[in-house]
Amino acid sequence: MAETSHGTGGLTFDKSKRAWPNELNIFIALILIICIFEALGQLLPYMNGQSLLFDTKGRFDSIFNEARIKIIILQVSIIGIIALGVTQVIIAGGIDLSSGSIVGASAMIAMSFAQTELVNGNPNPKAIFGPWAMDLPAIIPVIVGLLCGMLAGIINGVLIAYTRIPPFIATLGMMVSARGVAKWWSRGNPISFPTEDYAWIGSGMMPVIWFVLLAVLFHIILRYTVYGKHTYAIGSNEDAARMSGIKVARHKVLVYTIAGMLASFAAIILSAKNLTAQSGMGLVYELDAIAMAVIGGVSLAGGRGSIIGTCLGMLIFGVIISGFTYLKLDAFYQEMVKGFIIVAAVVLDQWRQKKAAAKT
Amino acid sequence: MKKTLLVVGLTALMSTAAVAQELGASIARFDDNFLTVMRNGMTDHAESLDGVSLQVEDANDDIGRQIDQVKNFVAAGVDGIIVNIVDTSAGAAVSEAAGDTPLVYVNREPDNVNELPPTQAFVASNEIESGTLEAFQICRNLRAAGKAGGAKGYLMNGQLSNQAAVQRSKDVHDVIGMDMCNFMTLIDEQTANWSRDEAQSLMTNWLSAGEEFDFVIANNDEMAIGAIQAMKAAGIDMAAVEVGGVDATQDALVAMQAGELDVTVFQDAFGQGRGSVDTAIALSKGEEVDSKVYIPFKLVTPDNIDSFLDKN
Repeated sequence: MAETSHGTGGLTFDKSKRAWPNELNIFIALILIICIFEALGQLLPYMNGQSLLFDTKGRFDSIFNEARIKIIILQVSIIGIIALGVTQVIIAGGIDLSSGSIVGASAMIAMSFAQTELVNGNPNPKAIFGPWAMDLPAIIPVIVGLLCGMLAGIINGVLIAYTRIPPFIATLGMMVSARGVAKWWSRGNPISFPTEDYAWIGSGMMPVIWFVLLAVLFHIILRYTVYGKHTYAIGSNEDAARMSGIKVARHKVLVYTIAGMLASFAAIILSAKNLTAQSGMGLVYELDAIAMAVIGGVSLAGGRGSIIGTCLGMLIFGVIISGFTYLKLDAFYQEMVKGFIIVAAVVLDQWRQKKAAAKT
Repeated sequence: MKKTLLVVGLTALMSTAAVAQELGASIARFDDNFLTVMRNGMTDHAESLDGVSLQVEDANDDIGRQIDQVKNFVAAGVDGIIVNIVDTSAGAAVSEAAGDTPLVYVNREPDNVNELPPTQAFVASNEIESGTLEAFQICRNLRAAGKAGGAKGYLMNGQLSNQAAVQRSKDVHDVIGMDMCNFMTLIDEQTANWSRDEAQSLMTNWLSAGEEFDFVIANNDEMAIGAIQAMKAAGIDMAAVEVGGVDATQDALVAMQAGELDVTVFQDAFGQGRGSVDTAIALSKGEEVDSKVYIPFKLVTPDNIDSFLDKN
């Protein structure tokens, strides 16, 4: 600590102090978890030497079990889209507990504009509105859904930025209220049978394609744009950010609005994928999304983290879910291990930071 | 202006005073499809009866909150309480919270169902029927398809803490244990928490193992539909796989019409809701009521689907 700094004001680049990128640690953890599953697959007698990621039955052209690799990503990509929004919220020093409920409310509202008039030649048994809202072009429910998320996000942001209540409380309020909206909208009834165009949004591997597009976009935004730099600056030191001329309040509203819109876009994909919207949709998605970000090295103290880290955190989730089904182990164990990994990730990260701080 | 308001207020007061029967209901979850149909049955029926008012509360899947709601109803002096219990093992606590106020359990069977005091009753369908009807029909279909030499398949469980899920899965195991159906074997069983989305992911995970299978039995229709969507996405011919669910929801009947779902079981949600209101009223009037009122399950297949289309 007492070491005198080298160079001009200690600001020169010192290669020895360059941190081992955190993303690499998470990547190693991911590989380790995969290895554990592969080893168990070989060791457990009832598994008959099956492999998690590799094709042992000659079913695919490549050496990989393509079907499993696809589902590993597919089953987490929708929550992954929410996690992208949550990542930038946490980097900005906030938290968003409302995303799961925004999914529920947006899915219900969007789906009621996406219904088709005839199901197997009969009138739609789940029709919410009259014929005027039937068979509309898919862009209308998409816009309606995104507007829902935008509105919820703006309310979150304005509450946090201008009334100065903690983000935990503001988004907790939204979490409860938006779930109420989801249940109230159709009095708890599910809304089913969308048009083919709307269903296309969530069909097949489309959720993964949306996720990849958005992940690349937000990686670029957070890394290379003014918006991203301001987000990190506010999360690291809000007062310093304000003094250096960043419009903190306005920026926060923007951050939460984007998070809300991403949650509602996830809702659109989810309802299109399932061909139904139900008021319980997205339950505890907010916690899964936060956990993905945290495992991915996003610091709850703000100012630190990356989209790449969150993507890796998401993949760890996906591997665990598929790994346990592959081992034919029940959901209990899955939850226990998931909880352990979340805590372990943060403990390791804290320890690493302390070590890094001691070095300087 | 003030006078008119006063008059309006007084009339409102008088009209509530005219209500003979005040009922309170606590439902485990407002966002559950089946429970919503049941809840609609309760509210519609209460509205159709003269002098009956019904207040419905959402317990949000929290047993502590549900017990508080029951206590609040007692404190408000309602004539009867209807409880769709969150946790079936907490029956004793709920029964105690109701005290002398008449109490009707609906849909979910509390663990103290055999020790209910005379002021309490249970209205539901007998879960032993549902899983048995479902699995046995799948067994018959498989035999009819010439697979009596051996058939493999998967079982999707509902929420593992839920009595209906546990019972339905046990029924499936019992049917598979019968001589007539012991050609059926389960490759794996896992929970998909009643949810269509989780069932889609679970089925796709199973498919990725690449094992041959002939049937999928789910504890409810939502999960059966999720499994169907996953199989269709993987290009599996739905005519070659027997799929069964429970509930006969609208979505499930549409899937059955499309030839994708083969078996479901109609649980009279509306009837249960209506029955619970009637039973609560009877209890509050001091009438004798059976402590268990069963509303039967009915098997639904493509042959008799038409008579169920407008039910749930």
